[in-house]
Amino acid sequence: MSAVRFVGLRKSFGDRRVLDGLDFSIARAEVYGLLGPNGSGKSTAINILCNLLDADSGAVEIAGRPASPAARSVIGFCPQEIALYKDLFPAENLRFFADIYGVPKADAAGRIAELIRLFGFERFARIPVSELSGGWQRRLNIAVALVHSPEILVLDEPTSALDLEARHELWRTIEALKKRGMTVLLTTHHLDEAEQLCSRIGVMKNGRIAREGSVSELLSLVPAKAIALIEVGDTAALLARASQLGWGVRRYAGKIGCLLPQQVALEEVVRALSGIGVSSVSLQRVSLEQAYFEILQEGREPPSTNPDDSTLAQGSEAPTPVSRPTA
Amino acid sequence: MTPSGFSLVLQQTTAIARRILTEYLRQRRTLIFWAVFPALMLLLFGLIYGANPSMPGSMDTTPAGILIGAALFFSCLGGTVSIIVAERERRTLRRLLVSPLSPAAYFLGVVLALSFVAFCQTVIVFALAYAMGARYRGDVTLGATIVALSVFAFVGLGFFFGARFAKRAEDVNGPVAAFGVPLLVLAGTWFPVSLLPKFLLQIAWFDPVFHMNEALKGVSGRGLGWTDLSASLIFLAAFAAVSLALGIESYRRMLTEEKRS
Repeated sequence: MSAVRFVGLRKSFGDRRVLDGLDFSIARAEVYGLLGPNGSGKSTAINILCNLLDADSGAVEIAGRPASPAARSVIGFCPQEIALYKDLFPAENLRFFADIYGVPKADAAGRIAELIRLFGFERFARIPVSELSGGWQRRLNIAVALVHSPEILVLDEPTSALDLEARHELWRTIEALKKRGMTVLLTTHHLDEAEQLCSRIGVMKNGRIAREGSVSELLSLVPAKAIALIEVGDTAALLARASQLGWGVRRYAGKIGCLLPQQVALEEVVRALSGIGVSSVSLQRVSLEQAYFEILQEGREPPSTNPDDSTLAQGSEAPTPVSRPTA
Repeated sequence: MTPSGFSLVLQQTTAIARRILTEYLRQRRTLIFWAVFPALMLLLFGLIYGANPSMPGSMDTTPAGILIGAALFFSCLGGTVSIIVAERERRTLRRLLVSPLSPAAYFLGVVLALSFVAFCQTVIVFALAYAMGARYRGDVTLGATIVALSVFAFVGLGFFFGARFAKRAEDVNGPVAAFGVPLLVLAGTWFPVSLLPKFLLQIAWFDPVFHMNEALKGVSGRGLGWTDLSASLIFLAAFAAVSLALGIESYRRMLTEEKRS
């Protein structure tokens, strides 16, 4: 039985349809990553799950039952913003939310001590939250969501606005929860985070799941074994050469990416592109980022077939597929 | 066993009250203001009455006006508005919305915390007044009832203003000063209402703070009883009930709107 199941969920704000038949389920003890561009409906889906919004139609099931307020008590919600009482100490925040969730007094002290240990707050016992770093506040934000021992943890962009080190620290915490068998629904814009933490990922587009699968299943959507990122003055020459070599071409963040059908050494790529004025080449493994862009691009018309078109030079959230010149 | 029903509401209510009081203790600045302002006002009025023995009114009735206008008005009305605005600004309101916290428990928690603050302010004001020679002449239970009704009225109004009009902390001070201070003056908080022109006195009768002052001045300074103060007590009780109902309804509406945002 699924821990959470979204069935044909629809939601509109005025004329704008945000969820358009959202269907997916999360298995128990699974870390499910919900990805998608801004406005794709991730937050709306989470808000409906957490009873912050009502759906127009469709249903949410928790452990096979309709998501009544009682059923929702098994959810621990960690919002995107740091929502804590900053004049209180970490343990006081945990105690407050334990009382709000009705954790019995006899259990609360033990539960709070366990979370303090798990999240490493021992040395901050007498420090108000306002004096903690952003990373520690984010950790406490998650710890508070766990104080009533929920079965399902909902993390809405838990590492936004964190530096790299703090993000990695938080990843370790989420991995520790994963090892304890916690069911987690995670939304994030950091694709490396989803790749690192999630056992399954759903990519939302236009209010529904466009693709879903494990990281390796999503990576297989990219028709390449490796990506060569290339800076070149003469784009047309590169496109012609790539066409001759049978390489697909995409634009990623201002660079042209050639989709290599097999693993090749950097020297071979440089040799294959000699004579067309390449200024830099780097090789990358296929990552979730490329798979994500492939999914977002599915079903869209390529914006231009002209390599000199200005749209090619602009960075966008989705890559611009570059069509090969016909002559 | 997980608490439910009344025991859960009780647990939540005490959690809200304890949290608010802990925050006040940590911030200190607010508590100092709430203690120092009425104390200073009392000292000033003590000096004024000392220098002008022929002035209408007396030092015995002064602590009542100071308690209502310089203490409870700011702590219970201004304090409630600030609590609600802070909950919104910190985004904790959204977190609470996801939790099983009942609106009644939240409301009662705020009332409990601010009642405790009001009790401390009452003790400070009357203890200082006693040290300055003023004497409490009436029934303590009646005085406590008037203070409690005033607290309920102010907290209810605080919920109404905080939930309906104040989206940010900056929104709080302007309306409180613009509407609150004239109401205090009209209510005879700082000087006897006998100084008001007749038409203003008629208007003042509809000012709830007027009845808080009149009732508390009557019991504390002149030793009046329940029957003597019945008109003000009835007005005050009705006003407290209306403002509590208004506050609860505004708070419920705010939660619904917050859910939709």
